[in-house]
Amino acid sequence: MRVNPNQMPDLLAALNQTELEEQVAELQISTGRSVNEPSDNPTAAALLVEANDRATFTGGYLQSISSVQGQLSTASSTLSSFTTSLQQALSLGVEAANGTVSASDQAAIVVQLQGIQSQLVSLANTTYEGNYVFAGTKTNAAPYVVDDTSPSGVDYVGNSGVNEVSIGNGYKLAVNQPGSQLFSASGNDVFLAINNLITAVQTNTGIGTAVNAVSAASSYLSARTVFYGNAEDQTQSETNYLNTAQLQISQQQGTLGGVNMAAAATNLTQAQTDSQAALAAIGKLSQDNLFNYLT
Amino acid sequence: MSGLFGSLSIALSGLSVSQQEMETTSNNVANANTPGYTREVPVTAAGDPVEIGSLSIGTGVVLDKIQSLRDPMLQIQINQATQQNSSLNTALTELQQIQTQFASSTSGIGADISNFFNSLQQLSPNPSDVTLRQGVLTAADTLATDFNNAADSLQTQRGNVDQNVVQSVTQVNSLTSQIASVDQQISYLQSVNQNPGTLVDQQNNLIQQLSGLIDVQVIPTGQGITVATSNGTTLLSGSQSFALTTQTGSDGVEHILAGSSDITNSLSGGSLAGLIQIRDQEIPGIGSSLDQLASGLATALNTANAQGTDLQGNPGGNIFAPPPANGVGAAATLTVSMTDPSLLAASSDGTAGSNGNLANLSAVADENLANGQTPIDAYSNLVGQVGTTTGNTSADADSSNLILQQLQDQNGSVSGVSLDEEASNLIQYQSAYQAAARVVSTVNLLLLDAVNLGMDAAEE
Repeated sequence: MRVNPNQMPDLLAALNQTELEEQVAELQISTGRSVNEPSDNPTAAALLVEANDRATFTGGYLQSISSVQGQLSTASSTLSSFTTSLQQALSLGVEAANGTVSASDQAAIVVQLQGIQSQLVSLANTTYEGNYVFAGTKTNAAPYVVDDTSPSGVDYVGNSGVNEVSIGNGYKLAVNQPGSQLFSASGNDVFLAINNLITAVQTNTGIGTAVNAVSAASSYLSARTVFYGNAEDQTQSETNYLNTAQLQISQQQGTLGGVNMAAAATNLTQAQTDSQAALAAIGKLSQDNLFNYLT
Repeated sequence: MSGLFGSLSIALSGLSVSQQEMETTSNNVANANTPGYTREVPVTAAGDPVEIGSLSIGTGVVLDKIQSLRDPMLQIQINQATQQNSSLNTALTELQQIQTQFASSTSGIGADISNFFNSLQQLSPNPSDVTLRQGVLTAADTLATDFNNAADSLQTQRGNVDQNVVQSVTQVNSLTSQIASVDQQISYLQSVNQNPGTLVDQQNNLIQQLSGLIDVQVIPTGQGITVATSNGTTLLSGSQSFALTTQTGSDGVEHILAGSSDITNSLSGGSLAGLIQIRDQEIPGIGSSLDQLASGLATALNTANAQGTDLQGNPGGNIFAPPPANGVGAAATLTVSMTDPSLLAASSDGTAGSNGNLANLSAVADENLANGQTPIDAYSNLVGQVGTTTGNTSADADSSNLILQQLQDQNGSVSGVSLDEEASNLIQYQSAYQAAARVVSTVNLLLLDAVNLGMDAAEE
């Protein structure tokens, strides 16, 4: 059978193919990626977009959590200072209730209690990064304003709004408690109890009842403090979960679009060998034909 | 005629035919690398014998004809393969250019969408923070700009492809007129019984070039050939060629007209078919997906922002300039119209510290707003589609390259000039020439002997 005497186009096509394979291997090695354009692996290219989205959000949730944790720990430590002050007020109240206390001592206790009262107002007006922590969502103004005409001595001018922040996919965490639910809760109003205690000591009547009211309000507040502990626990465990998720996503990205360096290097060597063979064949082919042997 | 003069005449015919055979070989060797050249072989025959009595005496050799060796069926297959190959490779080149825009998973529209929604997430713990609010607007700006760039570059590429269509049609017209002119010469040579071999080679070569541009069928007729597209539009009949024209249609792109009929959508092969596929299907398809996504996002985010209250206590306005009602051109024109970050309506209760409406804005990420898909799913699907189309076209083009290469190998095995073969023929023709020359010189000696018969006797 007669064969095609012009083998050059076939050899050139083979050479072209091996050079293409060299390029692909080189690109994979230099970029460290096996998917350098969508057609390299369309499914992986599409999944990589989704993976990048999840990676962005996972990083985003972690960032939000650290911001939320700042708020939570500020609120939490403020509340513990608040509780400590209340305990002092309670001790003073108990001391005042003792019938042996002189009138001048009682006056001194009143002064101390008034100091504690203004300290409590200041604590209730704590800010985190310029925002009032216990003002509900009305965070741009101090929620407690001193008002001598008010039975509790203060007015709550915040609102009852609660913000929720996503700390995971579909996982929302309430990040604040408004003062209206903490310090000014109906029946457990801390400021009313303190104000009543001051009045009771001043008038030396019903101190025991007033002390009990402060004690009740303090217990109520302690119970509400659990909220922050819980929230901090949740952010911590979610942080652990997100860190694991981040690792998994990065592994998935590696599996989808990463390069097996050993395989890529082998491919490159193979392509280079093939390319040299094709070049050698072209070199030989162009030299040899019967005319060279005619004398 | 017999006798010594008869032998001389036979030897002469041998000399002359050997010379012509060597000429043919020489021509084959000279054209070994001429594109489209078909090797020629001399066809010789024994001269008509002379009957003398009961004897039949040969009269030497005659050169019957010089034949070009070609396989017309193979030629047709090569033309068809060329049409498919050219269409696929043209489309592939364009698709590879398109897909570079969708190459990165960590930058571009997909990453912009993720980053935008992440900027809302970052605002959520501290909704009145102006720096974080500015971050949202910056992310929106980046998203809009990348949509604009993607749409612009698709549009630019479409414009270039459109120009290519016009140029290709010009080339088609030039080729058909050349083929018609060659056909006229072939008809003339055939009418005077001459071998049109090289002209047929030339014509076949031109038809193959034409096949690279447009899907054509060649129909041999009594007078030359007819070349028509596969939908039946005649491009040339014998020596008469019919030019195609282009005209800008109401859709803003060039349409291909044969006379008054629009054949743009009926082309199935050649680079023109590939160009039209890219121009009228692939690019508009991708463009429309981008438009749907851009328009869906802008509309949904504007709607969500309107549900909340901005830092100044007013109802939320538009973040993006409202996209065109039907969505067409939304990607190219997507613009962030909000310039003041305090106008972002994060609040659901009117206070600055509320982040309630950010949840509505963030929820847009999970809304099925583009072709029934969430924004990131829609984009990810688009990347997958572009990759699949390019990958499939690339695989088809690879196999089409192989088919064409095999057909050309087959054609080469029939028509290609083999230098080994020509060298061996040359040796053969040279020997034949030498032998014939030897006969002439022998006859010459014998004739001398015969003419000088008497002289030799007289001298003795």
